[in-house]
Amino acid sequence: MSRALGLECYRYTIFAALWLSPLLAQGELRSLDDSALATIRGQSGLSMELELTASADRIAYFDDGNGIYLEDFRIGAASNPNQQARHLINIDIADDASLNLDYIVEDRRIEFGDIRLAGAPGVSMGGLFFDHNLAGSLRIRSGGATGSGYYFDSAYSMTDGRLGYRTNGNEVFLDDIAMTVEAPGVTLDLIDGALAIYAPSLIGSYSIGAVRFSGNPANHGASRDIASGELLSSYGGFAGDFDLSSNTAIRAGGRSGEGLRIDNQTVINSANFIYRDDAQQLALRDISGYWNVVDLRMDVAADWQGRNALALTLGRLNGELKIGRIEMGANGQSLGAVNLSFLLEDAVYSGESYSNVVYLQGGGHPDAGPQGLRLATEWSLQRADISYTENGHRVIFSGLQSWGRGDITVNVTRDSELNGTRFYDGLRIGFDGVRAGYRLNGLRVGSEDALLQGGTELLLALGFYPAYEFEMDGQLTLGAGGASGEGITINSDVSIRNGRAALLAAPYDDGDGPAEQKGLWISDLNYESHMRDATVDVTQNGLEVVQGEAWSTMDVGNLRVGNKDSGASFGRFVLEQYETGSSMVISPGGAGDVCAGGAGADAASCEASGGRWETRGDEGLTIGLKQILARAESGGRRNALTWETNRELDSSGQLVSNSGTRMVLNDIHTSDGGDYDGDGTDDNTFGIQTDIAVDVYQTRVVKKSDGADAQGVVGARGDEKIMDPSVAAGYRYVAVPGPEELASRPLGFAVNARARFRELSVNNVDLVHPVGGAQTAVYGVSMQNFDIKANLTATPMP
Amino acid sequence: MKKKYIAIGMGALLAIIAPGLVQAEMTAVDDATLAGISGQGGIYLSGDISINELGGPVEDSYFGSCEELAKKCGARFAYQLKENGGWMVLDEIRGNFAFEGLTLRVRSINSGFGGDGEVFDGDVLELGLPDVIRFHDVRFKIAGSSMARPSDPGFRQTDIISAEMQGNVIMEGNLLVFPAGTP
Repeated sequence: MSRALGLECYRYTIFAALWLSPLLAQGELRSLDDSALATIRGQSGLSMELELTASADRIAYFDDGNGIYLEDFRIGAASNPNQQARHLINIDIADDASLNLDYIVEDRRIEFGDIRLAGAPGVSMGGLFFDHNLAGSLRIRSGGATGSGYYFDSAYSMTDGRLGYRTNGNEVFLDDIAMTVEAPGVTLDLIDGALAIYAPSLIGSYSIGAVRFSGNPANHGASRDIASGELLSSYGGFAGDFDLSSNTAIRAGGRSGEGLRIDNQTVINSANFIYRDDAQQLALRDISGYWNVVDLRMDVAADWQGRNALALTLGRLNGELKIGRIEMGANGQSLGAVNLSFLLEDAVYSGESYSNVVYLQGGGHPDAGPQGLRLATEWSLQRADISYTENGHRVIFSGLQSWGRGDITVNVTRDSELNGTRFYDGLRIGFDGVRAGYRLNGLRVGSEDALLQGGTELLLALGFYPAYEFEMDGQLTLGAGGASGEGITINSDVSIRNGRAALLAAPYDDGDGPAEQKGLWISDLNYESHMRDATVDVTQNGLEVVQGEAWSTMDVGNLRVGNKDSGASFGRFVLEQYETGSSMVISPGGAGDVCAGGAGADAASCEASGGRWETRGDEGLTIGLKQILARAESGGRRNALTWETNRELDSSGQLVSNSGTRMVLNDIHTSDGGDYDGDGTDDNTFGIQTDIAVDVYQTRVVKKSDGADAQGVVGARGDEKIMDPSVAAGYRYVAVPGPEELASRPLGFAVNARARFRELSVNNVDLVHPVGGAQTAVYGVSMQNFDIKANLTATPMP
Repeated sequence: MKKKYIAIGMGALLAIIAPGLVQAEMTAVDDATLAGISGQGGIYLSGDISINELGGPVEDSYFGSCEELAKKCGARFAYQLKENGGWMVLDEIRGNFAFEGLTLRVRSINSGFGGDGEVFDGDVLELGLPDVIRFHDVRFKIAGSSMARPSDPGFRQTDIISAEMQGNVIMEGNLLVFPAGTP
């Protein structure tokens, strides 16, 4: 090895040692008595005890002359900023010439008060702090993958950890972190000018007692409020374990000029993740997968608006994530398994190029204070497949693409009005001029290479459009604390403009390349949505969302059939919603045993009634909805539906809203049917209660006419479709299927639903003429005592 | 297209609902014809729906479970066409119906229909009707009432017609819905 290369390797070795071991120890040398020495491994070599404080006003990094500054850097005690952190280190050289470090770190805090970028005066990114106790060992020996590098064996445990982010006196932090990590046999080499780090086994577990929020500027890195002594409110806690292997290459050189390039391949051999909310938990178990990061660059550079930023630009990221079980509720029942494969890479959507970049800047929302994060973001999800498997039945939502560009801001805010903007307690995520979209290509059933089918519109039941393009501004603030105890509180305001969402959509690529996606579209959409004090909790029943107050206006400029921009229009539709106290519970387990098309509590009585007894298994998904439609209030919030046609055109040929003829269903509301509590108004607590159990299950599909079908498969009217991989189309038609053939019926979604309401009313139905004004056509509609049950199967069609 | 069915009744109903804007036509398209149509995909729906099988959620002096013979266990739909006037009512709505093979998709038409398709050259929303809809104990009453709510003071009601439906209704073909006129 040449002297120059040897020196370079040495520098990288020191760097890697710092990376592998969370040691950042510099400080004074103190004596260690024998009894203390006996508590750590190794009885020979050099021992050091350090009581450490270190600080720096500013640490700067320059990339092609552009600077980023880490300000108010400090290492010291976590419990008292004026005291020192204790370090105990034993250094030993073993017989095989390996360097052994055993260390204990107590009560240490590493902190940056602020992060600034040159050329961005008056704004900054906010501060970070990291508290911990550590006990571990690090062994370094020569060798590595090439024989001229190094081996590292590292193991450590961390307790009493905290990791926090602070802006403008408010902070969110992970509290009570405990973690163990073992990384034996890590190699470090210099290969083709890259620092190559290979970790064949990275095994560990972690626990985060709570994620806490503080809106009191006097608090900093403490679990309890300094004024009240009470524990700070919590979003809940996390726990998990992992078994990974990883290969990383780090090179010099950014996307332009100086900078850093990182390539990484990581395999998740196994992992588990648990979210805890008070005594309940939501668990993702049996996780496995991999990801490959190619050509990730870090620069200090300007974004597309010329704003200085820390730029992270990505060449490609692909991978797969498998979650074997999603458990929730008191009995730990599973929703089923989810598998996600993805590819993030540059691509062109609707004639416009998108890549994957994030430009980190200071500031956040301009009214929230000088500290915060602004992420000028662009993304291109070229392809993702999401599969859902329950009780062995698998459905794949195939060919998800997503793209977008805009600013996302992050602030930790407290309940107040600043400079005319309302803020709420919690982590505020803002959307500033985000133009984005996504589209699904179709469904596949069974495997990734199965026939592409329609049916993505089935996602409408879960609130997802099969395709959606929009421009968005707004905010989502995630507060700490749920309906009771731990959990999440949501306040949000979202404004969408120029939206185009599909209610029905054909594939955008059926194998011959991208094509116009025909469908039924809500086009020229403007949507305003507001939510106050909604809570999210994990309960004994599952995941429970309770809305405080929510109101929205969905103004669909044109409901089009065919092309989303030029298809013929049914006119304009405006849906106004105003709900108070509505809720949703997502529970594991679907319909279970069902008598489809008949009545009966068991197979015999069901079939005797002409029904079909179906055992849909213990997995699946049940959604319980309760919608309280409030009466119209004086501020204009109401539930109403307007349909407008015959609109006039303006000078630029655009249709003018409210210039045509309208039909208005005004003040749609629910009621319990009387004033039972004597407060002078009708009670409204029951609402519309809907329970929907969804399973992926075999469905009966019959041919509707004689002859060949759309795929050229011949059958007679009334024949049943049976899946058969041995034939070219993947299915055939059978007049009278036998038991084996019945077991090969096509998969679809089986929905068992029940909707009930005591009273649903429409105050009046008006016809509005642009000149003559409003005329009431119906002076009231009242629907009472409804209990509707439905057993439906929805099967995608090719 | 070998067969063409025209459901005048339903088309007329839609024509009344949406004069000059929405048009609907029922046609039967065989499976082979569908193979040549662009804009594929969609869903195939089957199932059964029941209304107030055992009663509804209201328990008061008027409504109750179906085991309480003195009370009504069906659903009620009332509307008022004159301010401060009486209410037209569909009362005691109950029953079950089942269907198999209702399809839903967007379809492009640029040929067929005796040459009209080429002229039309547009997209439609296609509802493929189920062959058979089975009605089981579907019943309701048409009535006139003084109040929307039977529990309100001064409630009086006159039943006009009672209807009950049993058996199968055969519905073949497709319902094509498309916009026309000025949006």
